[in-house]
Amino acid sequence: MAQAVIAQPAVARLRGSNARSRRIVDRIATAALWGASSLVVLLLLLFIGFEFYRGASSISWQFLTGSPTAGTAGGGIGPLIFNSFYVLILTLAFTVPISVCAGMYLQEYSAGGRFKAIVQFSAESLATVPSIVMGLFGLLVFVSALHWHFTALGGALTLTLLNLPAMMRVTQEALAGVPGTYREASMACGATKWQTVLKVILPSAIGPLTTGVVLVSGRIFGETAALIYTAGASVSYGRSAYDVNPFHTAETLAVGLYQVHREALVPDVDRIANGSALVLLVMVLVFNVVARVVGRALTLRFTGKAR
Amino acid sequence: MIQSQPAAAPALADKMKIENLDIFYGTFQAMKRANLSVPDRHVMALIGPSGCGKSTFLRALNRMHDLTPGARVEGKVTLDGVDIYAPSIDPVTVRHRIGMVFQRPNPFPKSIFENVVYGAKIHGEKNPKRLAEIAEKSLRAAALWDEVKDRLSRSALDLSGGQQQRLCIARVLAVEPEVILMDEPASALDPIATSKIEDLIGELKRDYTVIIVTHSMQQAARISDFTSFFLLGELIEVGTTSDIFTRPRDKRTEDYITGRYG
Ligand SMILES: Nc1ncnc2c1ncn2[C@@H]1O[C@H](COP(=O)(O)OP(=O)(O)OP(=O)(O)O)[C@@H](O)[C@H]1O
Ligand SMILES: [Mg+2]
Repeated sequence: MAQAVIAQPAVARLRGSNARSRRIVDRIATAALWGASSLVVLLLLLFIGFEFYRGASSISWQFLTGSPTAGTAGGGIGPLIFNSFYVLILTLAFTVPISVCAGMYLQEYSAGGRFKAIVQFSAESLATVPSIVMGLFGLLVFVSALHWHFTALGGALTLTLLNLPAMMRVTQEALAGVPGTYREASMACGATKWQTVLKVILPSAIGPLTTGVVLVSGRIFGETAALIYTAGASVSYGRSAYDVNPFHTAETLAVGLYQVHREALVPDVDRIANGSALVLLVMVLVFNVVARVVGRALTLRFTGKAR
Repeated sequence: MIQSQPAAAPALADKMKIENLDIFYGTFQAMKRANLSVPDRHVMALIGPSGCGKSTFLRALNRMHDLTPGARVEGKVTLDGVDIYAPSIDPVTVRHRIGMVFQRPNPFPKSIFENVVYGAKIHGEKNPKRLAEIAEKSLRAAALWDEVKDRLSRSALDLSGGQQQRLCIARVLAVEPEVILMDEPASALDPIATSKIEDLIGELKRDYTVIIVTHSMQQAARISDFTSFFLLGELIEVGTTSDIFTRPRDKRTEDYITGRYG
């Protein structure tokens, strides 16, 4: 009772004179949050503008398709772009099946027991490994122990390890977004679990799943540290520049960019570096845009509604 | 105890028989010792206040609780005398013979045609001509054919709620089940769509045994031959619909149908 007596005037004071100042604080907070959000957009635009300013003059057909040179100016980055896509596709060929199956198991099959906990924990641990450490692991296993030397395959397998957790999460989230009523309806028609997953759940999740794959692809495309010691840092000399042998060295665009400043023996290092950076940036941005567009289109195609 | 005895006339053959059914969610017992006989090719309505366990009871009849983690069913449920919970029985075949329509229309995000033939395809029918026949037959039986015959390839999600629910009924019919379970199939629909569904149920009982949960006593009175009343996880009384509504034997049933329970 005594407490209530003390509290009474305090409450009254809060309600009365503070109302105005609280409204002002509220406005300031809203403005600050809006400002921070706008800053993100502004920084992105500034950054893109800066890259264009520095790199646009380097871009030419010769630059985009030509091969790197040793010692002389005028080299291109064609094989590096090719290698980036090649390593990406190789990586996806391993990452997507494994992580989609694992994510599907976790989301649709395991009833949340011990095994699920172990798999989740493993994936989360794998996700915290820094990419350079993964690269050194790849060096030990694929390059040294297996005697492959620097290969596209070794790089792709290292990137697979690096990106499995993210792809698994993407799968789990895409499947979790499918309404439970679809599962019930399918089972009530006498479908088995597998038929339900294959015919109803996966098609319904195809949009977010594709978006996730393309977003992860963007990350793979820009990955550097994991590839320096595994896929190698040179477009191997003495073979054709556009090389699909997975057991050959494959310097990607991102690795090339890192490498050109360190040890390139060409006089136009800056031109190549600025141009490469711009191409890399645009590629990764394209991945992001494509992810959204394709995801939306597939969702529309398979589910007949826009998300 | 006498109230729990099925009041169905003895001449009718039982399609399903439920004996001493207990259902648990974890440690919570949601259904206690339920006994019920469902005669072949009739409509059995399940009524009772919200939360009394009607859906819980219904979902035990085609083993949908298998999909709910933590749910446990004890007792006996037979279809044509065979216990559907026997270890040798595959729940997938049970659901093939006992179809289910849910409270909210839940068509797949596919075309109308793909929705209807889903079950047939699942069970191995590949012939496009046969599939087209199945689609037409099922949609006609669900009183939807005339409304959708020109747009079978359109998304099912573009249909109205009432049309979607009839599509879901067509989808179940296409599987050719023997029993159809319906959990408040009209509760999300307007009066016109509801009366279409009710007419449809009247048609269906010529070929199927229908067990339907409904919140509306008028609806139960209109469409069912038998009615069972549930309260607080127990099956209180079952009898012919006219008996239940005109001379219930249990005081609690009387209180409910005269509106004393809300
Ligand atoms: N998955 C579940 N886990 C735990 N308890 C549940 C679950 N489903 C239902 N219950 C509980 O079981 C009881 C019966 O629920 P049920 O859904 O069968 O009622 P109902 O008669 O269908 O009600 P309504 O008319 O509102 O649909 C309720 O107390 C409910 O809270
Ligand atoms: Mg219910």
